[in-house]
Amino acid sequence: MTTKRKYTLAAAAFALLLAYLSLYSVRETEFALVTQFGRPVRTVVNAGLHAKWPFQSILWFDRRLRIYDPRPSEFLTRDKKNLVIENYVAWRIDDPTRFVQSVGDVSAAEMRLHDIVWSGLSAALGTQDLESLVSAIPGKAQAAPMLDVLTTQADRAALEKYGIRVVDVRIKRLNLPEQNKQSVFARMRAERERIALQYRAEGEQQALTIRAGADRQKEEIVSAAYKDSERIRGEGDAEATRIYGQAYSKSPEFYKLLRTLDSYKKVLDDKTTIILSSDSELLKVLTRGEAGAR
Amino acid sequence: MSILMGPQPVVADADAISTPAPKRRRPRIGAWLLALWAVSGVYIVPANQQAVVTRFGAVANPRLLPGIHYALHWPIESVYKLKVHQLQRTVIGGDIPDVALGRINPASSEFLSGDQNLLNVRVVAQYSVREPKDYLFQTFNVEHVLKMAVESELARRIARTPVDDILTTEKVAIQNDVLQNAQRTLDGYQAGATISSINIEDVTPPAEAADAFRAVAGARADAIRLVNEAEGYANGLIPRARGEAAQLGEEAEAYKDGKINRATGDATRFTEVADEYAKAPKVTATRAYVEAMEQILPKIKKVILGSKGNLDVTLVRRDDNAAPNPNGGTPK
Repeated sequence: MTTKRKYTLAAAAFALLLAYLSLYSVRETEFALVTQFGRPVRTVVNAGLHAKWPFQSILWFDRRLRIYDPRPSEFLTRDKKNLVIENYVAWRIDDPTRFVQSVGDVSAAEMRLHDIVWSGLSAALGTQDLESLVSAIPGKAQAAPMLDVLTTQADRAALEKYGIRVVDVRIKRLNLPEQNKQSVFARMRAERERIALQYRAEGEQQALTIRAGADRQKEEIVSAAYKDSERIRGEGDAEATRIYGQAYSKSPEFYKLLRTLDSYKKVLDDKTTIILSSDSELLKVLTRGEAGAR
Repeated sequence: MSILMGPQPVVADADAISTPAPKRRRPRIGAWLLALWAVSGVYIVPANQQAVVTRFGAVANPRLLPGIHYALHWPIESVYKLKVHQLQRTVIGGDIPDVALGRINPASSEFLSGDQNLLNVRVVAQYSVREPKDYLFQTFNVEHVLKMAVESELARRIARTPVDDILTTEKVAIQNDVLQNAQRTLDGYQAGATISSINIEDVTPPAEAADAFRAVAGARADAIRLVNEAEGYANGLIPRARGEAAQLGEEAEAYKDGKINRATGDATRFTEVADEYAKAPKVTATRAYVEAMEQILPKIKKVILGSKGNLDVTLVRRDDNAAPNPNGGTPK
């Protein structure tokens, strides 16, 4: 019974050892490259539990998307303008066999990618004007097709040579070389000064327009009021004249008498000397007595 | 990454602990330990988290909601818990710690605008987990990927926009465009993250041209002030003109009414008197004449001549103030 149990135990231990040596699990983030005495036999892409011969061993590769983010470098466009461009490459290992044979590790892969992408970008930019990257005119700056072509080319080259899939090549920063910056700043200042002048002039123009409009409106209002007021006064004068005419025409000679006498009262003052004949109507009575009144 | 929780620690390993136990009791102890191992697979996913379960490395449950769950321990199953709803933030264009310490590298935030102006731009992106499985397993570093995607879209968008628009009107449009396009890029990379906001925290012209930009702002303010002053002038002028107009109108009406009233009064008075005159014209005329003379003559100098007498003109002209001498002689 004890010996039997010992055998059972030994068998179980052996089974465990065998399982340990021949079963392995592959995580979602990695590839397993099964090698037999150093020679790659197959790549396991699917995550999960897998089996191998105990004498086979495994190399692990991270299959996740990585970003290679090189230092900025200067490129020359077709119209001979210098641009400092920072780009990034999104890549992942696609073919572990090729990768392990030609590259080996991530930093070596990045060096290879740098060469491929840098030369591709430099060639591509040589066929583009600066305006196709940087332009305020809508629809003019179209870098995307160029980068798509570059991505495709880099992907083909990297996949074939290094087992690397280039998912995306993108420009993440556009800048000017340090030695050009001072002149750019000077230009920016000049532009700003021009714009400032323009703002001031436009403000003055607008202000003058408003003031002139107000003055015109004022003149319109006042002159229209003057027109109306003169008409009203005229109406008053006309009405008064009519009333006077109507009244006085009833007895013109009496009016003439009264009006003349009234005007004497105004015209003749204490500076006036009047020479009266004793024959005058007023003095007739004085000189001739009762007969003068007749 | 802080939110990436490792698998649950292995609490009990039946094989390792069972060896020193006495032979006779081994099956029972082994069974107990096995039971313990099985029971300790119970775990809780907190309310703010979700979990991904993998079995032998492969995803067995891509999204485990909060609650109590059971998983077999290593080497069979692993549980990755993620704070899916927590917003994470990352800065593009000059890191905030650098800014706080005042040692910002100017090139790290410099962008080239469409009209070839340089601008310092700093953007804060907020994002959260959308697809835990992708977030955990598809990219090496989600934050780095996201930074790159946002930065490239930002650079591209700024390179198509004139500097004035970036500084003023286009800010919100840029944020929206960058968010949409960067999200599309991330989806292409299967990053499993959602960008919830892109916020341009800071956009400033370079120090070398900052004063000129300020001068423009000053000029704009001056222009606005000029226009406001002119509007103030207009606003003061028009009502005053209206008042003046009203005054003119009122004066004219007053003149008209006065004139008519006075005429009516005069006419009525004349008519009354004229009616009386018509009854006795001669007498009335004489009375009017004499009354008038009574009023006029006392004030004025008078020289009365006889019916055939001649006037000594010198008498009149010598001295207006001298009383006329009836003898015609000159006073000594």
